[in-house]
Amino acid sequence: MVKETPNSAASDAARWAALIEAVAKREDREAFATLFEYFGPRIKAFMRRSGASEQGADELAQEALLAVWSKARLFDPGSVGASAWIFTIARNLRIDGLRREKRAGRDHTVEIDPEFHVDEGPQPDAILAGSQLESRVRNAMTLLSRDQLRVIELSFFDDKAHAEIAQTLQIPLGTVKSRLRLAMNRLRGLLGDFS
Amino acid sequence: MTIHHHPPEDLLAAFAAGLLDLGQHVAIATHLVGCPRCRDTVRTMEHVGGALLTGLPPTAMSGDALAMIKARLDGIVPAVASPPRRATGLSDVPGLPKFVREYPAGPWKWIAPKVHMRPIELPEASETRVFLLKSRPGTKMIEHTHTGFEMSCVLSGSFVHAGGHFGPGDFDLGDGADDHEIMIDSADDCICLIAMQGDLKLNGMIGRLLQPLIRM
Ligand SMILES: [Zn+2]
Repeated sequence: MVKETPNSAASDAARWAALIEAVAKREDREAFATLFEYFGPRIKAFMRRSGASEQGADELAQEALLAVWSKARLFDPGSVGASAWIFTIARNLRIDGLRREKRAGRDHTVEIDPEFHVDEGPQPDAILAGSQLESRVRNAMTLLSRDQLRVIELSFFDDKAHAEIAQTLQIPLGTVKSRLRLAMNRLRGLLGDFS
Repeated sequence: MTIHHHPPEDLLAAFAAGLLDLGQHVAIATHLVGCPRCRDTVRTMEHVGGALLTGLPPTAMSGDALAMIKARLDGIVPAVASPPRRATGLSDVPGLPKFVREYPAGPWKWIAPKVHMRPIELPEASETRVFLLKSRPGTKMIEHTHTGFEMSCVLSGSFVHAGGHFGPGDFDLGDGADDHEIMIDSADDCICLIAMQGDLKLNGMIGRLLQPLIRM
């Protein structure tokens, strides 16, 4: 799934970050179109897998790209990689979409972004710049086993409880949890010392 | 603050993936306030999300999507970081994430000798209820059993049970499997944020006292 060589992962991460910064600094529409063409169809796929209809997924993907445009100045390449930043935008819109569905018309908006904003202590947490972390995570993921990747992927994208993942993969629930934990421990190990 | 008890990694991943309901999300976010290690894990998981996103097979956007969106760009006002909202009754509680401090909360209610609770009102329907529980030093409780899970984040003070000693910043995931005795062992009040799901089946006298109130 993630097949890039180390160098291409690093250059992709830096290139996307540069495109977002071009939008932030110059309202660069060409940079925006490039981001749109790459991320739009992938965000749409993400929304489809999370259960949105064809039309709903298209609208959510458009909303996500509009948010990339309007929030570009808030993008901080020092702390977050470009695709992770875009992922969090899509994630928050998905949460918002699901809540709106539940409220069924009752008009009421709560901003999702602050719910993920965590104050850092006096020492900022970031040791690695965003695009460095991004390419290291992408490279580390190529070293996970297929099974480990599949559990991570299912738990991120299919909005499935672990019990459902167990059913889908026909493995016991305990195996799903332990595989997920193993996969994440492995990732952390590959990424170096975190604590 | 030295933290000894962390949420399991699958919960941190579910947090980063945006899959927790709001009550559980609040509990994990509360732990993150005091825990750089778990913040780092969540940050890494968000980068895993980014990598997975770029690896998804693309689904074509509707034909005119780019033209439509470009036409809308002019009308868009660049976002700025949101201004702080008005403080509510929870602004005096240490260790809560900023967004939680803005939620309305009821007053402290007496629920049993030495035990008070204060419900936190979530702005969205959630299967998980969230409240603060304040216990005086020396309080002993039999932990209830329930069919769901229970997350506790220690905000101040400390308690001890068979699973270990829990102080400020620590996270305790109750599995509901066994009853065990909890003892407040700090010199001051122990205040925890609790996120609880599922039906309660409380045991013991305090349990019976707690039950009607926690059901809310
Ligand atoms: Zn932690």
